[in-house]
Amino acid sequence: MQTDIKLELRNISKSFPGVKALDHVSFKVRKGTTHVLCGENGAGKSTLMKIINGIYTPDEGEILLDGKPVKIDNPIHARSLGISMIFQELSFVPEMTVAENIFLGRWPLDKYHRVDHPEMYRRTQALMEREGLHYSPYEQLKNLSVSDIQMLEIIKAVSNNPQIVIMDEPTSAITDKEIEKLFEMIRTLKERGASIIYISHKMDEIFRIADDITVLRDGTMVDSRPASELDVDETIALMVGRRMENKYPWEDVPKGDVLLDVKHLTAQGVFNDVSFNIRAGEIVGFAGLMGAGRTEVVRALFGLDPYDTGEITIKGKRREHLSVKQNIADGLVMLSEDRRRYGLIPIRSVMENVSLANLKKFIYKGRLHRKEERDAVTEQCRSMNVKTPTLETTVEALSGGNQQKVVLAKWMEVDPDILLMDEPTRGIDVGAKFEIYKLMIDLARKGKALLMVSSELPELLGMCDRIYVLSQGRITGELRRQDFSAEQIMHYAIGTDRG
Amino acid sequence: MQAKQSKANLWETIKSKYAIFLVLVVLFVICSLLNSNFLTWGNLTNISRQISVTTILAFGETILIISGLLDLSSGSVMAFAGTLSVMCYKAMGEGTGAMLVSILVAIAIAMFCNALNALMVTTFKAPAFIVTLAMQTMARGAALLLTAGQNVYQIGNYTVLGQGSVWIIPIPILFMIFFFLVTRYILSDTRFGRSLYAIGGNEAAANASGIAVNKVKTAAYLVNGVMVGMAAVLFMSRVNAGLPNGCIGYETEALTTAIIGGTSFTGGIGTAGGTIIGAFIVGFLNNIMNLTSVNSYLQQIIKGAIIALAVIYDIYAKSRRTRKKMGNIEDKAAKK
Amino acid sequence: MKKFLSLALILVLTLSLFSVAFAEEYRVAYIARAQADSFAAWLANAVKEEAEKYPDITVDIFDGQANDETENSLIENAITNKYDCIIIQPNNGEAQRPYAEKVVAAGIICITTNARIDGIEGASSVDADPYEQAAVNARYALDKVPEGATAVILRGPAGNFHADERLKAWKAEFFDKRPDVTIVGDDYANWNKDEAMALMEDWVTANEKPIGLIASMNDNMCAGALEVIKDNPDYKDVLSFGVDGTAEACLLIEEGRMTATCLQNAYELAELLLDTSHKLLTGEETQIDTDVGNPLYTIDNVAELREIHVKAGALQ
Repeated sequence: MQTDIKLELRNISKSFPGVKALDHVSFKVRKGTTHVLCGENGAGKSTLMKIINGIYTPDEGEILLDGKPVKIDNPIHARSLGISMIFQELSFVPEMTVAENIFLGRWPLDKYHRVDHPEMYRRTQALMEREGLHYSPYEQLKNLSVSDIQMLEIIKAVSNNPQIVIMDEPTSAITDKEIEKLFEMIRTLKERGASIIYISHKMDEIFRIADDITVLRDGTMVDSRPASELDVDETIALMVGRRMENKYPWEDVPKGDVLLDVKHLTAQGVFNDVSFNIRAGEIVGFAGLMGAGRTEVVRALFGLDPYDTGEITIKGKRREHLSVKQNIADGLVMLSEDRRRYGLIPIRSVMENVSLANLKKFIYKGRLHRKEERDAVTEQCRSMNVKTPTLETTVEALSGGNQQKVVLAKWMEVDPDILLMDEPTRGIDVGAKFEIYKLMIDLARKGKALLMVSSELPELLGMCDRIYVLSQGRITGELRRQDFSAEQIMHYAIGTDRG
Repeated sequence: MQAKQSKANLWETIKSKYAIFLVLVVLFVICSLLNSNFLTWGNLTNISRQISVTTILAFGETILIISGLLDLSSGSVMAFAGTLSVMCYKAMGEGTGAMLVSILVAIAIAMFCNALNALMVTTFKAPAFIVTLAMQTMARGAALLLTAGQNVYQIGNYTVLGQGSVWIIPIPILFMIFFFLVTRYILSDTRFGRSLYAIGGNEAAANASGIAVNKVKTAAYLVNGVMVGMAAVLFMSRVNAGLPNGCIGYETEALTTAIIGGTSFTGGIGTAGGTIIGAFIVGFLNNIMNLTSVNSYLQQIIKGAIIALAVIYDIYAKSRRTRKKMGNIEDKAAKK
Repeated sequence: MKKFLSLALILVLTLSLFSVAFAEEYRVAYIARAQADSFAAWLANAVKEEAEKYPDITVDIFDGQANDETENSLIENAITNKYDCIIIQPNNGEAQRPYAEKVVAAGIICITTNARIDGIEGASSVDADPYEQAAVNARYALDKVPEGATAVILRGPAGNFHADERLKAWKAEFFDKRPDVTIVGDDYANWNKDEAMALMEDWVTANEKPIGLIASMNDNMCAGALEVIKDNPDYKDVLSFGVDGTAEACLLIEEGRMTATCLQNAYELAELLLDTSHKLLTGEETQIDTDVGNPLYTIDNVAELREIHVKAGALQ
């Protein structure tokens, strides 16, 4: 029995600033099988796979390959051990051709050690014919569609006869037909004796291909069993776990006037005829799949991206041209999903980041009053519970949760009435998440209007008074709290409304 | 335990915040020991006067680099603005009124050139490197065209600003101090200054925080223009001529000064104090190498090495910031 | 549209070629060393002015930008453009030699000037010799500099032909013959007044004994050094020498602050150049080698220098 274990992980732990991503995780992958790894966002699946592929080194624990302990230094080393990985984020060079990308870093060489281009294209052609792909090896990657590229990524991983293939949500960007092709490929690989580690949280896929299932939650291994011993409901229960009663501190706050009213907002090709409103004291959610246009709507409202038509009323005033500056003056602010890019000046201090949007408050008589600035920032950081050694510490040195709190503190300084929060809890640990939920309800109690965009359905269900569902750039459904149902939201999101 | 830690932190702060100042002090002591002429009032005023023009330029560069821009045209623009100013002074028949007008002419020309730089950078999103390189060539051409390549002589009392003194302090030094204070004020006491740091640190986030990025960039170039214009007047006045071929390579000297003073080439970091310290480091080095007659080829090697060291230090300091971040986590874990 | 434009362009180019071919005028290309070098610019201007006196000659000025590569390609272009005469002011004689030979081989009249490229079969030359320009200074200084004096040398750009030749002259004609004079400062000020000032300031500080001789490779740097010591009583006896005979040097010599300069008379050179070109173009003569003088101006004859500049409008 022991002999057919291809790969074993023992007590793997890994920490990042502020987050313990993996906590003593162990599991075994058998030869010639598909081992599915599932869990919610942030459960630690991708981190674990990056450890197997040598991108991260574990803080603790060991990896055994064919029963022998190995230390995997980097992806090239992993490849030499027969481990191949298909990434969630695509890792291609758009200016290069299909063949050049497939053989990136391992070009076939001729006897003078020059890259053997004819050989490379010949082998690519053969590979593509075998896998039934229709485009030319000479095509530049930038001319291909996302799903074509994803398939290419899969082929690339498979092309050098690996013994272990790691697939990190490989079906997120490909069509149904291609999914069938992928599953076909997985079967072929298994027949060849290769092991597949398959990461997904799509239940239908999981039970079609899994031989074994391991469930992760909050960085720990919850259970690992043969697929035949599990069913969908049990797996979901394992993934979600027993929810803490006070995980979402929602309460029914009295609602006031409509503070933000959006009618028929359209940006050609991005989103279409989006209408919604938020009242004072209300937390409104935007649900939907990736690429549904939620972030785009929020960015357009904040004045970061242009839109074509629409009627926007902010606190009773019609606004024709939205600009960030005007919005801030009106009390409308946005928390970006990408806080490092749009929220923070990473190399500057906590103090400068917090006072950035409302510096004019401290400037009078021709100079900046640093003491007042310090007092205000100190107070803001205290109420926001920002954990930082000093106010002079650069923001890049803080953990994800504290960084997010710094962005929030910045906006609290301008005392906004409407907050557009795009993935406010992304990439931060559970404790900080709870603090942000508490802050949201505090703000609602103070009569602010909040919009929360999130890809984590449980937090939308837990925190919102109302949820709008977007699909392909349109609002396809609206639910009140008493009608909340994950299933219904999913149907709206996929665009197959049965309700 | 607590006290020990805070003491260590204090030393860390001093080291990271004032490291460049320590370098200056050490250099000062070494120079004083190397040559007895170094530590004399005459020599120290000499050094200050020699660095004053490039330091004023360096303040402009500091402001620009902090916001993620730079100016490669300042030397050429100086030559253009300066010769025009000198010609204007001569044409007006000298006198205090003529001098004031000439100063305004120099500043106006330099601001105009920088306004063009800003326009290209903001409206057409062209890289500052190429835009100001183009301006460098154009402004030099304009200066040569204006004077037919000939120096302008007999500029009379135009020399007062560059060569005169107030009490015992040469006027260029007073201007350097003045622009130091201006730069310091801008960078630490104004919204404009904070906006510069924010834009250089992360332009997208600055924009998303309501900062008018293009306006701030334009203002940065215009402020640089004022400094370039005044530097041009001081330069021409000091050399007692309108030199269309003058100031070649001054922009590089100014950039070097700013970088040695701790301004980060990737933007978002830098101070007026750092720049003036950088200027004195360069000034002391040049001076001591001349005083002790170091071979001039060797001087170039030493200067180059110092620039490289400054950049390496900048990168090292950055990586240390990241490592410090890891340290924090370990501290927290230890407390648990 | 694009096709139409390119057709039109070709038409215009062809027409302009014809008009040039049928013109009675002689076309002269003057390839300057560098328009940013004040003497070279002065000479180019003088050539342009002088050319106006010849109705049958048009001169086009090209800028070699102090770069051998640029200068050589300008010569090649001028050959391709079929100029009747090409005047080369070399950046570096040896680098331009094969190109001057190409001019001759193409059957085009070739004149080298300031400095002459020696020994090109069939080429003419009008020269002011950089070695000689410094040598007249050095010879004059030989018995004026007091016993045991200290000296500083201000060099032009490293590797520049004129700077090197002038320095060679100072070494051979003065320093080799006066071993009692010690050199306390020797550095590149790159023809620049401001760089010379900074160097001189440091040298004055470093030497308690006043420096006795400033040997500068041009007037501009000499003026810079003098700017530093202008109100310094210790330096009233300093001897200082430059080359070029610029208006500024003229003023300094009149004030008694500068000892001497050797004139590179751009006007005289220009006159001779045009005269030579005309004689060669009209076939009056087939080969000419001629020189302008290297007159030394001191306080005794500075009035003559002033006259030249007044005539040119550089001084009142």
